[in-house]
Amino acid sequence: MTRTAATDVSQDAITVANVSHAYARPDDGVVQTLSGVSLGVRKGELLCLIGPSGCGKSTLLNIVGGLVAPTAGEVRINGHPVHGPTPKEIAYVFQENTLFPWNTILDNIKVGLEFQGVPAAERQQRAREAIEAVGLADFANNYPHQLSGGMKQRASLARALSLQTDILLMDEPFAALDEQTRTYLGEELSVLLATTNKTIVLVTHSLSEAVFLADRVVVMTARPAEIKATIEVAAGHPREPKFTTSSEFAALRNELYTLLRDEIEKTVGGFVGKAAARDRERRAVAGATEVVKP
Amino acid sequence: MSEAIATAGARTSAVPARHPVFRRNPAAARLGIVVLAFVLWELAGHTILDPNFLSPPSAIIAAMPRVLGDPGVQRALEASFIELIVAFVLAVVAGVAIGLPIGLSGFTRRATLPLILLLYSIPQVTILPLFVLYFGIGAGSKIAFGVSHGIFPIILNVVAGVQSVEAAHLIAARSMGATRLQTIHRVVLPHMTPSLFTGLRLAMSGTLLGVLLAELYVSTGGIGYYTRIFADSFDPPATFTLVTMLALMAVALNETVRLAERRASFWRTHQR
Amino acid sequence: MNARFDWHARAIQIGFVVALIALWYYVGRSGLVSAIFLPQLPHVAGKFIQIVQSSTLYANLAVTLFELVVAVAIASSFGLTIGYLVGRSRYASLVFEPLLAGLFAIPLVVFLPLFILFFGIGVESKIAFGAAYAFFPIVLNTIGGISQVDPRFVTVARSMGANEHQLFRRVLLPAALPVIVTGLRIGCTIGFLAILGSEMIAGLRGLGSRIVTLAEGMNTAEMFAYIVFVIILAMILNVTLSNMQRRFGEAPRSA
Repeated sequence: MTRTAATDVSQDAITVANVSHAYARPDDGVVQTLSGVSLGVRKGELLCLIGPSGCGKSTLLNIVGGLVAPTAGEVRINGHPVHGPTPKEIAYVFQENTLFPWNTILDNIKVGLEFQGVPAAERQQRAREAIEAVGLADFANNYPHQLSGGMKQRASLARALSLQTDILLMDEPFAALDEQTRTYLGEELSVLLATTNKTIVLVTHSLSEAVFLADRVVVMTARPAEIKATIEVAAGHPREPKFTTSSEFAALRNELYTLLRDEIEKTVGGFVGKAAARDRERRAVAGATEVVKP
Repeated sequence: MSEAIATAGARTSAVPARHPVFRRNPAAARLGIVVLAFVLWELAGHTILDPNFLSPPSAIIAAMPRVLGDPGVQRALEASFIELIVAFVLAVVAGVAIGLPIGLSGFTRRATLPLILLLYSIPQVTILPLFVLYFGIGAGSKIAFGVSHGIFPIILNVVAGVQSVEAAHLIAARSMGATRLQTIHRVVLPHMTPSLFTGLRLAMSGTLLGVLLAELYVSTGGIGYYTRIFADSFDPPATFTLVTMLALMAVALNETVRLAERRASFWRTHQR
Repeated sequence: MNARFDWHARAIQIGFVVALIALWYYVGRSGLVSAIFLPQLPHVAGKFIQIVQSSTLYANLAVTLFELVVAVAIASSFGLTIGYLVGRSRYASLVFEPLLAGLFAIPLVVFLPLFILFFGIGVESKIAFGAAYAFFPIVLNTIGGISQVDPRFVTVARSMGANEHQLFRRVLLPAALPVIVTGLRIGCTIGFLAILGSEMIAGLRGLGSRIVTLAEGMNTAEMFAYIVFVIILAMILNVTLSNMQRRFGEAPRSA
């Protein structure tokens, strides 16, 4: 069953209205992370946030999830404003795995359900279903340290899915994995999108991942971050692996990179360019004094 | 990224916190707490505390000249201090003398270390009366008991330190023609130093425990005598004074060893 | 470390212990040393069998164990509670942990006269002194354990809707348990030694006091027997604590 983006636009699942964020540095400075960010995430779409390192994408995600308070602006989930974590509507998947090492995989999921407030009788059943959905049924009674990186992330995904929320927030969920596992899990995520109506916001560094997974990609500037551009990816889910070799894919990816390059340079510093500029300056000064000498 | 996750739990904002002085400076807060504790103690001393059993700081300070001026008390404190120093030095010297050969020979280590650990695990406080029986009620038993407590950390740390010398360094020395003695002097000893200093710190704690325990036990002379006298005559400020002096002695000795350790490791980071 | 069982080393150890025992026996037989200083081995063995059947031993044992249990209970209640409250706050940890660690660095034995002064020479002073000694490793380890729980676990739990109680039961406690259990173990051990010591220095009842009474009465053989008994008791305590630590204090291997 394929899905195209931009169905179900009756009401945005997530509305970010003019959100800003700053924090105080211990040595009396103030760092502005986000500056007046506004966007809407449509129901059932996968929105990617991409930007240079440290620009505040994760902070924005955390603000959406209610884990961090914005210093200005507000976030609304399905119409009502966010004041704190909303476990019944939002589930998280983080980058480094955050499975509790003292619980088995099954217990990890059951604990998540307990936190959400699911009655004890239902927890076993739902946890089992979630584990089977990601194909880890054989490892339900294993401990996290006995699993590979990819399996651990699948378990984290199972935990998030078991909460049966409408919205899924994912903060570079595949960044710590090797490329093969990463690609594979990306394809699984695409299938998930096709079969459920979840709204997903995903933060990533990987351009390919963004184009492959997203219905829309939001490009953020360097700190203080604003939205630079939004790119639509019109292909329907589930996307097949051969999408990555299409010309459409390449064009989108290049467009993304062009948008990002300036921001990356601002963050990393473009030291090659700066050194060359300094060199030229020095030579110009030397040349000028030479001319002055009789 | 992980930083974001870690700080996400604390809902950060750009507003500076209240009480900037205490917020910024935990050390100041600590000082404030200590001062507050003394103030409360002083107040309690004048109101709820029974003067027969506890005294406020002011009474203690007032009693100090009287108590510390007593030549008997002075002698007792001096004796304790000397015993501490002697016991510590003996523990270190003996500990190194025993620890080095054990550490250097794998066989000796496997043979003797379990025995040493077994001895170390005995609650030494139980055999305190034996020490007094064998070494008498004078300085001997106190020094012996202090050595007995302080020697084990030295031995164990010296053994660990010697073991940590990498085989590669030893082979390198051997290949350059070093004799056993030279190898020990130039390679083993420098590598052993950090462990040794950790051991010194523990040994000082142990020696303090041993000597003071023995001193308090023997009530016919020294500190033990005066604590008994002061308790029997319901003279709490005097007891407090005595205790304070001993505590200061302990802190001073501990700090000395800690400073020596810091200076030694300062050199060490440049050595390697 | 040799994985192989080192027979030679073992032989030397056993030989050493056997030689020591033999030496003791023969020195006793020869009469070189007065029985007041070194009672004969068979005499001590006989005394040991005697005391293990005497009510005096069990009366004193009961006193000492009672003091230990109460002291550890008090130290744990205060230590765990304060440790949790302080450990939850980064600021409080920065302020209080060095204070407590610094206080513990002073050999608390110097304060024993104060405890005797205030509580007298009955069981109260032993309990108080033991509790004071045991308190420090417990509170310091609890602060350490709780404050060093990976903040990511706390964030994840919060994002799933955990309240403070659930956070404690399902995240903080299991994460910090190994360190806390270690603190409890050290506390028990130190508390036991502190109680014995205070019984010896100023006490009327309990195993420590009994040993001192025998020493003062020059009843060396029976004193030796009691010392052996206390050493065995200490070993049993150590093994028990070690087993408990293994059961509850296993660090979960990092995920």
